[in-house]
Amino acid sequence: MKNQANPWLTSNLLVLGLGMLPAAVLIGALLYFTAWAFAFSFTDLALVGKKSVEWSWVGLQNFERLFTRKGFLESLWTTVIFVFFSAIVGQSVLGFLLAALLRGTQSTLRSVVEVCIMLGWLLPDIVAAFLWSATTNQTGLINAIFVVPFGFKPINFINEYALPIVTIANIWKGTAWSYLLFSAALDSVSREVVEAAKVDGATPFQRIWLVQLPIIRPHIATNMLFITIWTFTYFPLIYAMTGGGPGTQTQTLAVFLYNQSFSRGNLGFGSAISVAMLVIVGLLSLVYLRMLREPK
Amino acid sequence: MADVSLRGVRKSYGSLEVVHGVDLEIASGEFVVFVGPSGCGKSTLLRMIAGLEPISGGDISIGGKVVNDIPSPERGIAMVFQSYALYPHMSVYDNMAFGLKLAKTPKAEVDQRVREAARILQIEDYLDRMPKALSGGQRQRVAIGRAIVRNPRVFLFDEPLSNLDASLRAQTRIEIAKLHDTLDATMIYVTHDQVEAMTLADRIVVLNAGNIEQVGTPLELYSNPVNTFVAGFIASQRMNFLPVSPSVNHLTLPGNRLLTLSTTNLETVRTLGVRPEHLELATDASTAHLSGILSVIEQFGEYALAYVELPDGQLVTIKLDGAPDLTLHDTVHITIPPGVVHLFDDAGRALR
Repeated sequence: MKNQANPWLTSNLLVLGLGMLPAAVLIGALLYFTAWAFAFSFTDLALVGKKSVEWSWVGLQNFERLFTRKGFLESLWTTVIFVFFSAIVGQSVLGFLLAALLRGTQSTLRSVVEVCIMLGWLLPDIVAAFLWSATTNQTGLINAIFVVPFGFKPINFINEYALPIVTIANIWKGTAWSYLLFSAALDSVSREVVEAAKVDGATPFQRIWLVQLPIIRPHIATNMLFITIWTFTYFPLIYAMTGGGPGTQTQTLAVFLYNQSFSRGNLGFGSAISVAMLVIVGLLSLVYLRMLREPK
Repeated sequence: MADVSLRGVRKSYGSLEVVHGVDLEIASGEFVVFVGPSGCGKSTLLRMIAGLEPISGGDISIGGKVVNDIPSPERGIAMVFQSYALYPHMSVYDNMAFGLKLAKTPKAEVDQRVREAARILQIEDYLDRMPKALSGGQRQRVAIGRAIVRNPRVFLFDEPLSNLDASLRAQTRIEIAKLHDTLDATMIYVTHDQVEAMTLADRIVVLNAGNIEQVGTPLELYSNPVNTFVAGFIASQRMNFLPVSPSVNHLTLPGNRLLTLSTTNLETVRTLGVRPEHLELATDASTAHLSGILSVIEQFGEYALAYVELPDGQLVTIKLDGAPDLTLHDTVHITIPPGVVHLFDDAGRALR
């Protein structure tokens, strides 16, 4: 490949160094924090007390605890369920369906739906969490409208169906991203290609399934990559709604990590959890990046 | 093979009407070209025949049956799009077989029809390739092949050559003409290129601003255009239009010389039209009808186009055979042979 750098830049090492400085600082900071977490995952560092100063190396003990003690595997399973239903099934499928259905309609309906799903996205996590717990608790709106008037006893949804409720809340919160991405992706499919399929006799469903979906496959993979990583590490909404409870029902890995590190103060174990999360997300990304590759 | 008939066909987008009641009969097996400037409604008309655009008024029938409410696939049409519109994720074979597979055609028949179309279009070697590995011309063939396998009664072409370069366009034009001859199918072809219209069409439909200006064979349109629009649009060099002031048996040309014509009733003539290939050079001013300065000359080898600027600033184009030896900025004298002129009234309508 041709060297496209400015000759004045490449001939002057000092200028070159100065120009690289911001990037070098950024890369350095990223590496420093990752290396910090990685290094301390082999220690018994604590947040407070004696071990916050006189910590010692404990080898693979933290990583053994991930698999031998209760907590990590349960949280991993909760996270998988949460990611699968709220991000992959919920946000992605719902976002795609909305994008496909509202496409081509220039009605007020489209504007209303767009504003509504954008509102969920734009609302701060903590506000959204408060809204959802206020709406779904024993004295909340849902009970007031749908349960009590029909003569049933009020149900404390957020307590009894904690994981479904946080899943639905996250779908509501995150669908806007998938909707926007899929809208843009569908716009990139040539109108004539879709019309050609129509002339060829494809039903609306076949046009989406056999023509548009395969064409936007790379966009789907990109979207999956983003929302899986985000949802896998998503913390504020769940923590503010349930704190991981009741019990550990909604304790995803991010909440588990927070509880271990800052409630229990086990920074070393917390670091091990974060390293494990990094590995899992990294592996998932590899799968999606393979999907992104163009077929031969 | 089927005839197509349009009766009072209209199209409006909201309150804006873009096609104002088109009546047209296309015979079975005919090659009809819709031509006109962009925005004249020619593509909209084609898309209405294809069933891709709802009809706001009137009737479209194919093979004697009104198809207004019949969906595209059941109209017995196939369409070739300007952008080729190949399915980018399917091989050439699958692109061509897609429609047949959707129609649940037996596999052996699909295979036989795809291979037959590929043979006609000489794309047998590319059947396994993806569209992005093909050149523009090859993609166009696949798009045509996709239309052929459907075995349609009517082929619709929407500016199929406009994305090809000039030499490929000329070549593909000839192939489409051959294809029409081989398949003997009704074809409706939309273009803004009057050369494609002249060379391909059995009949040309000239459209302007949502109305049909004239329908006729290429030579009819060339010899007897009904108005200045058709006169200016058809033929490769645009017709010269000169403002004239009429009297009983002669016209006063720009430069105040007179053109005497055998035709009577010249009173209503306002514009004289004459094609560049019909003008002749005169040796001296006394026999000439027009004189001006040679401002540009384009030499094509076999012929040349001379652009002569009249004293009033108007440019007149003359087509000259061979490679004429003319000097720029010299005064040029032009004669207008009688019998080749077109006369138009103040509304631009041709006078006979």
